[in-house]
Amino acid sequence: MDVTTHTGTRLQNRVAIVTGAGQGVGEGIARRLAEEGATVILAARRAETGEPVAEAIRAAGGIAECIVTDVAKGESVQHCVDETVRRHGRLDIVVHNAFSGAVPHLLHEASMEKNWKLMSKTGVWACFFCARSAYPHLQESSRRSPGEGGGRLILITSPSGVEGSANIALYSPAKAAERAIAKSLAREWGPQGITVNCIAPVAGSPALAIAFERNPDLKDAIEARTPLGRVGDITKDIGSVALFLASDDSSYVTGQTIVCDGGSFLGL
Amino acid sequence: MTSRAANIKAQIGDLPSHARVVVVDVSDVPVMAAELTDDKIQVLWEEPIQRVITELQNAHAAGCTRMVVVTPLIGMSGAAGYSAQSAVAEAARVVVKSAARQWGKEGIVVNAVALESRAYGFDELVAGPVSIAPRAMTRDVSAKGIVQWLCSDAAGDVTGQTFIVDGGSWM
Repeated sequence: MDVTTHTGTRLQNRVAIVTGAGQGVGEGIARRLAEEGATVILAARRAETGEPVAEAIRAAGGIAECIVTDVAKGESVQHCVDETVRRHGRLDIVVHNAFSGAVPHLLHEASMEKNWKLMSKTGVWACFFCARSAYPHLQESSRRSPGEGGGRLILITSPSGVEGSANIALYSPAKAAERAIAKSLAREWGPQGITVNCIAPVAGSPALAIAFERNPDLKDAIEARTPLGRVGDITKDIGSVALFLASDDSSYVTGQTIVCDGGSFLGL
Repeated sequence: MTSRAANIKAQIGDLPSHARVVVVDVSDVPVMAAELTDDKIQVLWEEPIQRVITELQNAHAAGCTRMVVVTPLIGMSGAAGYSAQSAVAEAARVVVKSAARQWGKEGIVVNAVALESRAYGFDELVAGPVSIAPRAMTRDVSAKGIVQWLCSDAAGDVTGQTFIVDGGSWM
């Protein structure tokens, strides 16, 4: 496993939870936040994936712990938040990245119902679980530093949540729902100084690696249609956008979706 | 179906047999995110969005070639106190795009109409303003004209689009 280096202090003394941090985009975000001094809780469904990432972050000088969390269950998310605050005394940043069930399907096939439930639970319900459990702590974070780096909720959506998808038809509405939740919560929580934003990434996740294996031409096709000519790096490209949204630098940015895909989608 | 959704559907009137309109049906009662219990998420998010998906599937099974989803504008604008309802609204708007992409080769066109909050009865004092500028029109507006057009032959080359009917608030 690659070892990142603890280099900055932009998130020093901040405590962050990143869901789905055992791999892919969540891992990249966790690494980048830890590089800038955040104490990062990796909320992973399986310790086998979360613990190695936490160990790698610690080996690089960062602070990270894994709390096994099933984001599809409200009580599990609540436990993660409670345990984080019990151990570290605060919670400033929540990144909801976890998502399951996005496999190719037809909108009108009956078998997609099970996938929909999984996508709805891990994507949309989990947004609500994270929001309701974290809210008092994010509010407290904003009280500590009014007008600056207060509470942050960051939701990981997708370009498909904007433009729809022929192949994974119901993935798109689940991701679109997350964008709407961000806008509504930005309005609802703005007076408390909490910002809520989305990132829509295209990055080298395990899911994309599997897709490349199944379709060897896909990587070339994505790179050809991307102005920057490459697939995003989970830490440098996506993690850095999450860092911006988590840091004081974004204190006047809320309700937005940052599409982080090398310029493929220019429709916002 | 709530009386407001039924009213929107009634205003649209009769459609050709090959056309189907799906009116997104969500509660107008605001619930702050911190108060969203599992039961409320089920009622405010899961059940309404599943109804939209099911109605589109039914329209496909019935051989409809023109489909229009009428959804609240709060999916695009966001609304304080209505995070669950706005999630339904935006998910419905984007499932239209997926359906348009997937069913286009079958000759099916699918579009969305984003209708202003007052038609759905949302409390604008809670939800917050849709835009910085005031609404351009003063009169009430209806989805009837655009839905009837989208279901006509004249709109056969239009698919996956969202048409906003809000009297000129969101531009």
